[in-house]
Amino acid sequence: MKVLIIEDEQALNQDITDFLTGSGYLCESVSGYQDALEKIEYYSYDCIVLDIMLPGGSGLQLLQYLKQDKKNDGVIIISAKGALEDKIEGLQSGADDYLTKPFHLSELGVRVAAIIRRKHFNGQNEIVAGEIRINTTGKTVTVNDTQLDLTQKEFQLLLFLAINRNRVLSKNAIAEHLWGDDMDFPSSYDFIYAHIKNLRKKLISAGSEDYIKSIYGAGYKMQLP
Amino acid sequence: MKLLAKYNRVNIVTTILIFIAGSIAFYFVLYYVLTDQLDRGLRVEQQEIVNYVNKNNALPEIHSTKHQWMEFSQTNVAIKDPEPHYGQAYNILEQEKEVVRQLTFTTPVNGLLYRITVNQSVTESEDLLELIIMLTMGMIALVLISNYLVNRKVVNKLWEPFYATINNIRNHKLAAQEPLHLPSSHIEEIDLLNDSINKMTSRIHRDYINLRTFTENASHEMQTPLAVIRSKTENLLQDTEGQEKTMKQLLAIESAAMKLSRLHQSLLLLTKLENRQFQLNEEVNLEMMLREKLEEKETLIAARSLALQTYTTEVILSFHHHLAEILLNNLISNVIRYTPEYGNVTISLDQQSLSVSNTAAGDPLDNEKIFQRFYKAEQSSEGTGLGLSIVKEICALAGFRFSYKYDQGEHHFLINFS
Repeated sequence: MKVLIIEDEQALNQDITDFLTGSGYLCESVSGYQDALEKIEYYSYDCIVLDIMLPGGSGLQLLQYLKQDKKNDGVIIISAKGALEDKIEGLQSGADDYLTKPFHLSELGVRVAAIIRRKHFNGQNEIVAGEIRINTTGKTVTVNDTQLDLTQKEFQLLLFLAINRNRVLSKNAIAEHLWGDDMDFPSSYDFIYAHIKNLRKKLISAGSEDYIKSIYGAGYKMQLP
Repeated sequence: MKLLAKYNRVNIVTTILIFIAGSIAFYFVLYYVLTDQLDRGLRVEQQEIVNYVNKNNALPEIHSTKHQWMEFSQTNVAIKDPEPHYGQAYNILEQEKEVVRQLTFTTPVNGLLYRITVNQSVTESEDLLELIIMLTMGMIALVLISNYLVNRKVVNKLWEPFYATINNIRNHKLAAQEPLHLPSSHIEEIDLLNDSINKMTSRIHRDYINLRTFTENASHEMQTPLAVIRSKTENLLQDTEGQEKTMKQLLAIESAAMKLSRLHQSLLLLTKLENRQFQLNEEVNLEMMLREKLEEKETLIAARSLALQTYTTEVILSFHHHLAEILLNNLISNVIRYTPEYGNVTISLDQQSLSVSNTAAGDPLDNEKIFQRFYKAEQSSEGTGLGLSIVKEICALAGFRFSYKYDQGEHHFLINFS
């Protein structure tokens, strides 16, 4: 799976590249408009992580170029411009998703994974974590062929953990993923605890190993061998 | 009061005053002229009688007309320097007493002294005077009315470009792409006004565009370092697994960075709202949106064991989709956040208004302060303190009225759509 990262801020570019490489993608990264244009012209990618404000041009122009060329690359815009107009313009220009800066790398991880799933498997995809199989279309989870009965939030949580496996996910990242703007809600951390507890209980009673580790003081992690 | 009305008032009052003074003066002049004419007639008559007496040594025959008649009588008292004066006399022909101008003089006839009174009827002159006065009054009225009508028409026409300018200014939106351009009107004063306004607005427009670009750039420039801080802390978290103390510190840094970016987003939104950078021309089904929002927050409501009651009817407004979402989101989040556990929340929506009430945790909120930025009833709370300010600004933009009141242990937030 090839991913192109177009981001002019070097530190952020490096982090995203490292992170996505760590998640098993083949990453290339550029930081300017011209370089990006060249890459897009000659190669095709499963997903492009695109910053809008670039030295030498606008990410939206790149998006239009992709569309004109009828390229099928998936695109996720990452922009500091949370402005609604930009969001709409970006999505209308053919981007698959839009993530406002700043964001959690783990959040970017699930979004990229979702785009690639959509592009490659028409959304039909199964994420396997040990004996846990997550069907993202039917939103079903099975452990050794036993179907689990999960709530919507538990499903979201499991998917988030499974895609970002072997990484520590901070409580903040989880809260933002599950509740978005409401994440600063007073007892959202208690919710996470409750959801994790229920999820673990359901997984274990279905015969799964206990992969979800609680990292004391920070968050959670799904540890897979 | 309109300028025209004020001008008309002054104009009419002065015109009437001048006309009244003029009429009075005119009346006295006319009166003097007419009296003088009568007097001259009387003198001529006196002269004729004296001449006749000197010539014929006898009194002339009395020729009475309607307008002039004489009376003779013997007397012993001579009148020196006779003067015409007003008096009353019996008009035989008309058979009535009349006001007359009379001249009484004495003249000797055949050694006897005769007293002769010549009467001149003033009815005629009075009629004339009356006619003239009436005519004058009529003319005054005519002049006033025509003046008023002409003024109204002409002045209204003259003010037309002024009102056109006012209308243009009123309809101008700062967020519009182009600065205001007021056309030239061929009237010097209005052109001066338009020109000054054009210059002012283009200056404002330029500053506004600069400011907007600045805010957007500032936002961009600030969010990117924040994104770096976040990705770095996230990476550090991976590396420091097991070092509980360090992880806690990192988590605190992450929380602060997240809060900072949320704060910035909110402030940016507020700026955009104040700059009127939104067009409210989308049809929004508020009821549907409200239901979706409540569904989204179901778990949060349930977690605090709030008793939620909703009364809604279908309301479709010409609004902005995203702003409507923010409005509902902030109101509902606010209520969920600040209602004590097991409290009541009532949300009702109808064509006129949206009201959100909840059990109060403490005292009434300060009506002055709650809409202020960064005001929080509890300083410790996690919110940004901008939620209600944003709601207030959105309402101001849409022309809604947003108010708060405290009643029987409940906070009531009301948005009036009209």
